[in-house]
This record gives sequence, structure tokens and C-alpha cells, in this order.
Amino acid sequence: MSQDNKEKEIYGTCNSFQELIFELQKYWSAHGCTIAQPYDMEMGAGTFHPATFLRAIGPEPWRAAYVQPCRRPTDGRYGENPNRLQHYYQFQVLLKPSPDNIQQLYLDSLNAIGVDTDTHDIRFVEDNWESPTLGAWGLGWEVWLDGMEISQFTYFQQIGGLDCKPVTGEITYGLERIAMCLQDCSNIFDLVWTESNGHKVTYGDLYHQNEVEMSRYNFELANTDSLFDWFDTCESECMNLINQDLPLPAYEMTMKASHAFNLLDARGAISVTERQRYILRVRTLSHAVAQAFYESRESLNFPLLKK
Amino acid sequence: MSNTQNLLIEIGTEELPPKSLKKLASAFKDEMIKSFNEEKLNFSDANWYATPRRLSLIINNLEVKQEDKQQQRRGPALAAAYDAEGKPTKATEGFAKSCGVSVDQLEKLETDKGTWLAFNAVIKGKETTELISAIIETALGRLPIAKRMRWGDSDVEFVRPVKWVLILFGTDYLDCEIMGITSGKESFGHRFHHPHAVSINAPENYIETLKKEAHVLVDYNERRTLIESQVNAIAEENNGIAIIDPDLLDEVTALVEWPVSFVGEFNSDFLKLPKEVLISSMQDHQKYFPVVDTKGNLLPYFISVANIESKNPALVKRGNERVIQPRLNDAAFFWERDLKHGLANHIESLKKVIYQKQLGTLFDKSDRLQKSVLHLAKPLNIEIDQAKRAAALCLCDLLTDMVSEFPALQGTMGRYYAEADGEDGQVAIALEEYYQPRFAGDALPTSALGQCLAISEKIDSLVGIFAIGKAPTGDKDPFGLRRSAIGLLRIIIECNLDIDLKELITNAAANYPTDINSNNCIDDVYHFLMERLRRYYLDEGVSPDTFESVLAINTSKPLDFHHRLTAVTEFRKLTQAESLAAANKRISNILKKSEITDIKQVNDNLLTEESEITLAKSLNEYQKRLAPMIEKRDYKSALTELAGLRENVDNFFDNVMVNCEDDATRINRLALLNSLSALFLKTADISKLQS
Repeated sequence: MSQDNKEKEIYGTCNSFQELIFELQKYWSAHGCTIAQPYDMEMGAGTFHPATFLRAIGPEPWRAAYVQPCRRPTDGRYGENPNRLQHYYQFQVLLKPSPDNIQQLYLDSLNAIGVDTDTHDIRFVEDNWESPTLGAWGLGWEVWLDGMEISQFTYFQQIGGLDCKPVTGEITYGLERIAMCLQDCSNIFDLVWTESNGHKVTYGDLYHQNEVEMSRYNFELANTDSLFDWFDTCESECMNLINQDLPLPAYEMTMKASHAFNLLDARGAISVTERQRYILRVRTLSHAVAQAFYESRESLNFPLLKK
Repeated sequence: MSNTQNLLIEIGTEELPPKSLKKLASAFKDEMIKSFNEEKLNFSDANWYATPRRLSLIINNLEVKQEDKQQQRRGPALAAAYDAEGKPTKATEGFAKSCGVSVDQLEKLETDKGTWLAFNAVIKGKETTELISAIIETALGRLPIAKRMRWGDSDVEFVRPVKWVLILFGTDYLDCEIMGITSGKESFGHRFHHPHAVSINAPENYIETLKKEAHVLVDYNERRTLIESQVNAIAEENNGIAIIDPDLLDEVTALVEWPVSFVGEFNSDFLKLPKEVLISSMQDHQKYFPVVDTKGNLLPYFISVANIESKNPALVKRGNERVIQPRLNDAAFFWERDLKHGLANHIESLKKVIYQKQLGTLFDKSDRLQKSVLHLAKPLNIEIDQAKRAAALCLCDLLTDMVSEFPALQGTMGRYYAEADGEDGQVAIALEEYYQPRFAGDALPTSALGQCLAISEKIDSLVGIFAIGKAPTGDKDPFGLRRSAIGLLRIIIECNLDIDLKELITNAAANYPTDINSNNCIDDVYHFLMERLRRYYLDEGVSPDTFESVLAINTSKPLDFHHRLTAVTEFRKLTQAESLAAANKRISNILKKSEITDIKQVNDNLLTEESEITLAKSLNEYQKRLAPMIEKRDYKSALTELAGLRENVDNFFDNVMVNCEDDATRINRLALLNSLSALFLKTADISKLQS
């Protein structure tokens, strides 16, 4: 058996980044999830997607899975670090209420993408999640695959300051990390995104230039004066929209404010004390949006309850 | 003991927090014992077991039922129990009914206050099986869980979701409702090796069955010992010695049900990094055990503990190696970048970092420290320039990339970077010692400069935080001032430093700007420190009255306090101690009652009785002999010497009447007693000692 074939046997079927996504979508679709699409705005984590943040609020059941590109300007390394990116992908799964077999469903998904759980050392290690800007927290684990953190697993307890009832179980796969394990690859940019007719398209082909340029923008060029103004604008727009009973556009303003804050942070434009104040300002918006969204669903008699 | 059975309780859960597993399991046991005691159910012994996915208890020889209890209920007085026609009144009938008997079955209870109708009931003891469900629920409800969680659509709250409950009493599987789960007849095995049910036929077989059939070592201590021996054996195979931090060993034990240890390697180029960085990467991030050679130098290996007998262990090893590599890469990157930047070049940036809103920036703090060290330079015999340089640099490493990635390495990185920058060697050492002691029982700074810096930092924090009204209250101590205070006192006492706390506090207070009003908190800080001093000694086993006897002297030098305290402790071992303490107490009472404020010198001419003449004479001698001892703070010799006075003092009290008729004689005797007491008070107020 050639080395390549042997590896395939060990690691299973997802030899490319896109196959990994396909397999996860197929798996979770088979388990009753709506396969949602990425949200078309900048966000720091898949949790910001309305399919998570808003759907976790209130009594309506919800099952969804989707890919979400995430931006963390401070994590940029100009494409020079083989493990860090300022733009990367999360695969997000929401199960509300969290089913009894949620851990087993997750483990089965690993087997589906080619991680043999009788070969690899899989561990659920305590990790309590808190998002100060979203006014949200939950308890759960980071999942280790041979010592590598590949997923976050959280039972939401509060979102936007509201108690979660029922509780949503959130599973977040770190796609690049899992792909690196599956492809036995030690540099993100060498990951195979897809392969056809012996022609490989790598992650680096798609994103290396993006990392270089965006790192420059994030760290060196982003116009901080405009961003401060933009933050203020988003904040006041958000409150206006809430007063107009429009929680969805208000939430978009919250996300924009949050991203502006992240950029300002990367530029080192926010002092330590100010930092806390900005986080609180975003949290105030999240709380207001969460409350408004709950009320809007209530006024519609929580339509998903009937299904 | 009556009829008993062994009881097994297993609460199966999703993965529990490893750092609190042991605490949860032993608290579960303690709470169960408490409940059994409350319910008067006896048992012989109880043991806890725990894995990431279960909390278990075995209670041996537990009574199967409570004992019956006699209970007497008193009804109406006999005089009022029947009407004129001899029929029971309504109250009497009501009472009988409430006891479940007819009126003629009631008994008469005669007391000296009259006769009453009464009923002697036998309260049947309840079966243990009836009580067990409530007992378990109560115990689980009382566990010390920082944050409880809910899951699914349930209102139940626990540390993590509960998956199964097994309650086996002798050979009976009890049917209880615990945390929303109906208890069943099965346990479950290892998540991957044996994911299905396991039947346990008796509590005595629980541990063995899980081990032999289900790949679960449920006994925490057995697992811990096994991991330790696996890790040591692997280190030895690689010609090394494993560094096994006990807390990490506990954490790893709490992360596996079936430990399988293995060695991994990393690129030996990384060995050029500071040892602490490598160790921290391995231990804190990855839960690996580092390996050193016989000289204590790190080897390019780590030992990890998996929770599986893998079908392909080489892959598990490779996976782990792939994780440590980028971490060390990052560390190497930070190391190079910090070295290039230089430690002193961070001084300016300290202005941008807030230490505490009202107390200013890290730069302000460093500035205050540079003033504080001046006061200590002389008593500690250190160079002022060195002290100022160390104070200027001691916060700089907080701004390095390495410390922001590895916060626990604050101080240590300061030392490395100072050495690399060619700073004075003493200064570099002090930058690390600045943080010592970091925790209870930690080493103290060994260099005078380190001691100086550590003391300055601690007193600056205490004064500043007290001044802005954030002193510790109850269990709230967000700035860790209790630890700072103990650290400060330990350094002064255990490093033999002649430092006056009041001066120290006053000097530190003077470094704050006037609007902080730091002068107002000087007394509070002083008293806080003296209270911590009490705690420090009581923890060391010093008795409270010994502490009080020295506290009464009001010395504000902890080292002086310490010498006196040691002397009193030694003194108490002498046979004469008790009677001298009693005598001093008596003297103190006599003097207090005498209400004479101005006690004169003893007038030898007024001494008449033989015992008082002898005592006065010996006092004179003792005063002369003790003076140089007190001067040298040799309190121990002073007190040992004073023990020799016992006979004379006893004789005095046996033969001399202090409060005699003649005023002049009386006052002279009081003066004699006063100078006796004063002689003791030069060391401690031993009248405070309890017999």
C-alpha cells in the first residue's frame, strides 16, 4: 500500500476542504438541520449569525447548520504564520432544544468526515464560553482531537441577557484545524481546497494574498477616525431601529458596530479602560436587540412552535 | 448494628470540569453522610469514586431502615377532658382522632402540675429505600458548583447534563427520580471502548466490573497512581525524569477514564527558549508532562496521557506533536520579538496601561515604587541606583508579547529579558523575585533587592486599594490583598528584616497624590496587617493567647514581634510559666483596682516583710541582668531568666498583704508589683496567657 493510500484509509474520505464542508452539510441535513447560508456581513464568530444569536432566543425550536466566514483582525499575521488567519471558516450547528444524544451526534459526525473515534483520542475538555459583547454565556467544552482543539461545544444559558429556555446546543467546528488533521498538513496555506484532474487548488491559492493585504489594512491603514464615527453611527442607528420595532436591521447595526470595534482594537486605537466601555456599548445594543426580537416573535405567536 | 446492606450510587454525566472533579466527588460523599446522619441511618464507611463521566459513592453496611421512635403526645388536662355527664369533650375526641385511636385507648399522664390525657405513639422508622431519593437530591443540590447549567427543555440544573443514574442497595436496583432521570439497572462503560450498558450485580463488584468489562478505572486514586507510574516509566525509558506537577496530575486524572500514556517529541531547536516557556506550553496549554535530564535540563520530549488504547497509537502521537509545534513556534516568535524590542523600551508604554482607574497607570505605579525603594535601601543595605532601576523595569515585562501569551511568566520573563539586555545581574534577579511569594508556601525573595522590591509592591497595593475603599470584605478580595499582606509579613519575618510597619505604610501613603487621601487609611492598613499576622501565626499552630500577649506590647516591627512570640512560646514550656502568668494576672487586677495613676519608685525603707524585701532585692538584680538582653531583643533569655522569680513571687503573695491599712506601705507594695509587671512587659504581657 502506498503511503498516500494508507493515509486515506486512516483519515477517511474528506481529502479536500470543500469535501469536508459537503460532508458536514450532508450529515447535519440528515439529522434534521436546515442548511442555512453564510451571513453576508463581517463577524467575529459564527455565533453572531442571526441563525444562532437570534434563533437561540425564545421558545421556538430550531435546527440549523451553516458555514460562516469569521474575521478577527487582531489574529492577522500577514500570511506568515502557518496557523493563524484573520479570516477563516467555522461550521456551525444549532440544536434547540439540545437533544439528549447531542454528544453522540457530534461524535458520529466526526466518523462521517473520516475521523475514526477508535483511533484518535477525542476528549471533551471543560470550556465555559462567554461573549461580553453579546451579553451571552454558556457551559460546555472544547473538543480535543489528539490534543488539538477542533470544536467548541456550548449549552447556551443566556443570550443578549435573556435566559435560554429551551437551551440551544451549539457546536462550532474549526474547519481549517480539522482539515489540517484530515490532510495531515502543518501549514494552513497548503491545505487542499479541491482537486480535480490532478490539479490542486490550495487554501493559500484562495486566501494568502487576502491575508497579506487585509493584515496591512487591519493593522496599519484602517482609518480610525472614520471607524470611531462609524461606530457611533451604527450605535445610534441601532437604537433608532429598535424604537421602530425593527430588531433585524437593528441587529445588523450591532454587528457592524462590533466589527468596527474589532478593527479599532487591531489598530491599537482603544486604550485599556476605553476598551471595556466599548464592549459595554455593544452589549447594550445586543441586549436591546434580543429583547426586541423576543417581543417581535411573541407578537407573531412564535410561529415555529406550531410546526 | 441492625440489618444492613451496601449501597452504590452512580451519577452518570457528560464530561465534568476536571479542575473541580475531586472536590465535587468528595463533597457528594460529605453531603450524603450529613444527610444519613440527619436521618439517623447508620453505616460503617463511605468511599467516593469519580471519572470525567461519573460521580459515585459506595456506602458500606447502611441500615435498611430507621429505628422506631417513641413519641408521647399530650392531650387535654384530665379535669377538662370530660363534661358534667362524664362524656368526652369535643377537644378530647378531636385529640383521640388525631392520634388515630378511640378515647378509651388514651392513657393518663400524671405530673406534679396535674393529670393529662396522653397518647404514647410508636413512630415507625422509615425504610432507607423510601428516603434515598430525597437524600441524593438534597446532596446533589448542595454540591459546591460555581455555575449550574440547564440543558434541553428541562428545568433541572447541574454541573453538566445527567445521563444515567444507578442506585444499587444490596442486590436491589432502586427506582428513583434524580435530576430528572429515572434510575435504572445499568452503568455505562468507556465512551469509545465500551459505549454500551454494563450490569453491576453488587456494590462490592462495582470497581472490578467497570475495570474488567468496561474500560473504566473508576477509582480516582488508583487512576492517579497508575498515570504517575506510567509517566515515570516512560521518562525513564527515554533516559529522563518527568516533571510531575501534582495539580496537573489531578487534572489529567480527571480527564481520562482509561489512561494510556505515551511520549512525543518536539524540535530540539526550541530548547534555546527559556525553560519556563516550554514548561508552561506543555503543562498549561496541553496538559503534558515535561521531561528533564539528571541535571534538570529539559529534553525535547513530552509525555501525554490519552483516554484510549488507539488502533493506531502512532497517529495519536503525531497529532499531539503537531499541536505543540505551532505553540512553540509562536513562543519562539514572541521571544525574538521581545528581545529585539528591549525591556527598557517598554517604560514609556507603561503610561498607556491602567493599573486601576483611580490609582493611575502602570507608569505611575512604577514611579511610586522608585520612591518607596529609597526608604528601604538603607535598612536592606542595597545600592540606591540598583533599587531605582529595578523599580523602573519591574512592570515592563507585562507589555511583552511573551507575557501577554503566558501571563503566569510575569517576572520570570522580566528576568530573562533584563539579562539579555545586559542589565545588572541583581536587578534581573529582583525582577523575578518582585512577585514572590506568588502563593501560600511559595519561596521568598532571596536577594535583598528582590525583598526590597517585593515589599514595596505589596505595601503600595495595600495602601492604594485601601485608600480608594476597596479593602477586602467577607470572601471578596479582588486585588488579592490578603495574600499580599501575608507575603509582606513573611518576607519581613522570615528574611529577618528590621522594618517598622507604621513607617512603611506612612512612606507608601506619601507616594500617592493628595486627592487619593491615602493618609486616612494608614491605621486601617496597619490593623489589617496585624490581623493577617494573627492568621499567619494561628495557622502555624501558635495559640491565640500567646499571640495576644505580644500584641498587647504594641510593637510595629514584625520581626520584633516574632522574637517576642517565640520567647513566649518557649516560656510556656517552663514549669514556672503558669504560676507566673497567674501572678501577672493578679498584679494587673490589683493595679487596676487600686486606681492609683501615678505609681512611684519602690522605697526600700518602707519594705517590712521578709518576702517583700527579698522580692525587691531580686527585682533589682533582674532589672540589671535583663537590660542587655532586652537591648539585644533576646527575649527568650529574658523570659527564661524571669522564670527564676517564681518562688519569690509566690512567697510574696503567700505572706504579704498588699492592701494593708497603712497607706504608705500599701502604695509602696503596689509600686513593687508594678515594677515586677514592668519587667515582664518588656517582653510580653503574660497576664494574657490562659492556664
